[in-house]
Amino acid sequence: MNKKKISGADLAFRIFNSIFMIVFVVVTLYPVLNTLAVSLNDGTDALRGGIYLIPRLFTWKNYSTVLQKDNLMIGAVVTVARTIIGTALALVTNAILAFIVSRKNFAFSKPISLFWVITMYVNGGLIPTFLLYKTLGLTNSFMVYVIPGMLSAFNMLVIRTYMKGIPDSLEESAQLDGAGYTTIFLKIISPLCKPVYATVALFVAVGQWNSWFDAMLYNRMSDNLTTLQYELMKLLSSVTNQSASVESMKNAGGSVTPTSVRAAATIITMLPIICIYPFLQRYFVTGLTLGGVKE
Amino acid sequence: MKKKIVSAILVAAMLGTMLTGCGSKASAKGSEAGKDGIKEFTAFFAVPGSEINDDNEVQQLIAEKTGVKVKETWLTGQTAEEAIGTLIAGGEYPDFVEAGSGSVQMYEAGALVALDDYLDKYPNIKEFFTDQEWDSLRQSDGHIYWIPQFSNIYGEERECTHNDEAFWIQARVLKWAGYPKIETMDEYFDLIERYNEANPTLEDGTANIPYTILCDDWRYFCLENAGEFLDGYPNDGSVIVDPEAKKIIDYNTTPTTKKYFEKLNEEYKKGIVDPESFTQTYDEYIAKLSTGRVLGMVDQWWDFSNNAEDAIKTAGLDEQGCQYIPLGLTIEKGMHNQWHNSGGIVNVSSGLAITTSCQDVEGALQFVNDLLGQEVHDLRFWGVKDVDYKVGDDGMYYRTPEMRKQLADTAYKASHSCSYSYFPQWLGTSRDGKNAMKPEGQEQEFYDGLSDAVKECFDAYGVKTYVEMLGTSPAPGPWYPMYTYSSTMTTATPGGTAWTQMGEIKHQYLPKVVMADNFEAGWNEYMDAYNACKPEDFISEMQTELERRITEAAKYN
Amino acid sequence: MSSTSSTAIPMPAAKAEKKKKKNISVADLKHQKVLLIWSVILTIYGVIFYYLPLGGWLMAFQNYKPRTGLLGSEFVGMKKFAMLFSDVTFLRVIRNTLAMGIINLIVTFVMAIVFALLLNEVASKGGKKVVQTISYLPHFLSWIIVTGILHDALSGTGIINQVLMNFHVISQPINFFAHEQYFWPIVAFANVWKETGWNAIIYLAAITSIDPSLYEAAAIDGAGRWAKIRHVTLPSLKPTIMILLLMNVGNVLNAGFEIQYLLGNGLVQNVSQTIDIYVLKWGISQGDYSLGTAAGIFKSVVSIVLIVFFNHMAKRHGEERLF
Repeated sequence: MNKKKISGADLAFRIFNSIFMIVFVVVTLYPVLNTLAVSLNDGTDALRGGIYLIPRLFTWKNYSTVLQKDNLMIGAVVTVARTIIGTALALVTNAILAFIVSRKNFAFSKPISLFWVITMYVNGGLIPTFLLYKTLGLTNSFMVYVIPGMLSAFNMLVIRTYMKGIPDSLEESAQLDGAGYTTIFLKIISPLCKPVYATVALFVAVGQWNSWFDAMLYNRMSDNLTTLQYELMKLLSSVTNQSASVESMKNAGGSVTPTSVRAAATIITMLPIICIYPFLQRYFVTGLTLGGVKE
Repeated sequence: MKKKIVSAILVAAMLGTMLTGCGSKASAKGSEAGKDGIKEFTAFFAVPGSEINDDNEVQQLIAEKTGVKVKETWLTGQTAEEAIGTLIAGGEYPDFVEAGSGSVQMYEAGALVALDDYLDKYPNIKEFFTDQEWDSLRQSDGHIYWIPQFSNIYGEERECTHNDEAFWIQARVLKWAGYPKIETMDEYFDLIERYNEANPTLEDGTANIPYTILCDDWRYFCLENAGEFLDGYPNDGSVIVDPEAKKIIDYNTTPTTKKYFEKLNEEYKKGIVDPESFTQTYDEYIAKLSTGRVLGMVDQWWDFSNNAEDAIKTAGLDEQGCQYIPLGLTIEKGMHNQWHNSGGIVNVSSGLAITTSCQDVEGALQFVNDLLGQEVHDLRFWGVKDVDYKVGDDGMYYRTPEMRKQLADTAYKASHSCSYSYFPQWLGTSRDGKNAMKPEGQEQEFYDGLSDAVKECFDAYGVKTYVEMLGTSPAPGPWYPMYTYSSTMTTATPGGTAWTQMGEIKHQYLPKVVMADNFEAGWNEYMDAYNACKPEDFISEMQTELERRITEAAKYN
Repeated sequence: MSSTSSTAIPMPAAKAEKKKKKNISVADLKHQKVLLIWSVILTIYGVIFYYLPLGGWLMAFQNYKPRTGLLGSEFVGMKKFAMLFSDVTFLRVIRNTLAMGIINLIVTFVMAIVFALLLNEVASKGGKKVVQTISYLPHFLSWIIVTGILHDALSGTGIINQVLMNFHVISQPINFFAHEQYFWPIVAFANVWKETGWNAIIYLAAITSIDPSLYEAAAIDGAGRWAKIRHVTLPSLKPTIMILLLMNVGNVLNAGFEIQYLLGNGLVQNVSQTIDIYVLKWGISQGDYSLGTAAGIFKSVVSIVLIVFFNHMAKRHGEERLF
């Protein structure tokens, strides 16, 4: 893609593109930096508004409030576990299903696809789902985090689309060599699917990392199955509640507020993702050295 | 061959994880005594609340005294109805529950234990209500299932803050005018206008916002219901009750309410009412108040005091007199105002209940009984002696500034304080006859916490508390307050449907009425939409309830 | 994009599939045994976790009470549906939901693709990485934070009004949240702001799979930047774009809840309320579980009809499709 000569139009494009990217970065970075600034500012002081990029009254208090939350460590361990196990399970099952329905000479590809597409648009509701999980023994168990959402039509279809782009000739020649579907899946298709696997892994992992509703609904009574986000949600709601006590009004000692604690909690949950992201990013941005599929 | 083995293993693993479910089953909950001889109960409250740490110190002290510890969980990210619906569907309950608006559902599902047979055995619970009050809690089957926890006064009432609604005005405005007696809405707005003309900015040059109105979502009471108070009626919430004729009056259509909105419309046109009133969020409203720019508004104290008032003090704006003083306004001069009512309120619609999953009902009730004992009650609300409060030579409890500061810290509270805040509790005077049941009722504690500007203002008016600023009246009758009924209404009845519909229409039209170029036209348009909701259905259901309450109360005279 | 791409580009090659009906023989099935086994297992999973809970749809035809449960509640037939469709408010929230759903779909969709394409054209690898990393970060902010910032920016003294006034576009600050005409664009902007970078990830991943030799070949043919985007990148992305478009079309009635709830107010409630907000107000908050279920069934039916229709259209045009 290296161009030796830069034409006028090309230069204009580059300039336009750079400006676009700079504007885009500024606009998307602002809310994040603003959240960071609020998280480092005294909560009561922040109520007055007017905090943009730099804290006005610096404090670590919001962070210490969050980090002192009881059960935070258990929540973090469970969250890491569910993220790893949940992502692995989801990746394997979605990839298998996508592989099946992307086989052109498999008779049931279409009905199976339709069967899964429908699942995206129907929902039995909270109570029937709750009853089902209870019957299956999923309540008060770790399994409820990784089993129910494991296979999802969206992720499956994303992988399927990618797999369909891989030339049939690869599969055909492998079959001539006597390879079965298991071998084709593991040895031929999957290695080529790394970018899409990384994408789906990212989607699933982020979903797992951020989820708390299942912990609240199904494992409310099991402290050792709490998740990071659920603990943070509880903290937020208790900070909100705290300001409803008449007692605290007499104390002007710079306390935390829902807004400031939420900001700190948001930054804390974002950090691990920002740290891990570069390892996945090479699949989306730099491009594979392999550069697509060799025939 | 190898591939088959691989796939077989994968299949087996999949099936295994899918079918066995496994994971740690919840340990059989209930009330078995733990290793240290302390029973553990569970509780779920269908309201948002603060969870305390497992190793909470006061909770441990209470456990040592009572032999019981309760693991509390709160509503998070769901509505009460959803949470209770799921609970009932699942059929397994915590030992204690406060189901909020789902209480009747819990009762109908047969999930609650009838308490009336037990009451005589627990003197502290028994004395919590009078016989009449206990009877008012009976459900359709004649049994009592829940105990309302709040607003119950022991001995003499001790109340310093006016926690409810009022027209608030900054102390600096009153000071500038020489602390005049402000009785009517017209005087109030006149004062704000004059002050703003003379002092359009704060010391730092920020322009004042003379009057703002919070309208965000359910908080639009700051706009809509001042009419009932201006007419001299107390906070029945959804309606006015004519105490003579025993008739329900719809305050939305009274001449006073119309005058109130006409006044707001007039002030809006003059630029006195904040043009962003109807689009601001709660956070933006608090931000405005916190900068000290807002001269006045209608609000309930709890809605702004703990954040905005704190922020004003933190920024040192209290020295400029930016804190708020309540005024008991009426529409005409010389009317009696009832912005503040004395006495307790039994909110019969929900309370603490014990579920059928509880295996030790007597132990649970014994614990509730113990919580109401003075010693444990002090632990819950005052804390640990010499750590959270000190006792003066005269036997009065007080706190040092350090103690107050410490108790405002979220993390400290989570690890130290434990008020079992949704278990029954007293207001009023302690059984020692001196102290208040809760610190916020302790007059000296209260006065010491005030800033100089507020003290000066109170002194000028010859009062000591917010409540005295307004004056106080007893509850007008046995029906009071009617909102305990309207808050339980649902679309299952025509009245409830009308009530929900009326709320929607008011939300939409009242801002337009205030902003209307032609007030009369705007008001008429609003009235047309309002009357289309069939408010008469709502009023007639309220009338029925009013009469029921009066008949019920008559049995005890 | 025809001849070159179908021979050399992997992705479009797929959709060029010839419609050959194969006769399935017993031998084929035997060979496909492993596929069949897994299909059965995964279908059982799907039935259990996605289709069994649909028994809850019974609720829509009942006066459901938790006390009596699904099996014991009184049946009321189509009453809940009749209630919904006789209420002008419900018809209005359908309009709002559809309008916002469609606007959001178009705007977020186009923005994500444009962003992915432009990012791909950034020459510096480091720059690319940095921009991409920053672009997805707002995805992790909750709506309450994003709407808070948006409220600030659009307030009377906010940056938007200040800029407009400095450039003399307006003489008085605009109260953006007081006028119905601004509401849908604000919601669309908020969605773009929060999700563009995140949504672009799928396209970026798809772009990485394009064979560089295609670009080289195009360059030899004298293709400029635009020609390469038009004839190489976009055709390669097309299957992905089609699939995502089809899936999202089915979601137009899921225009959201939180953002409208947080940005709306009494003055704009005619245009701000969505089906989900309606269900909360008139169903769940009233202890009426059936109403929400009825609205949910309505949404599902609409989604499936849309999907089937558009899938059929895609089929007719020989494009990638869902099933």
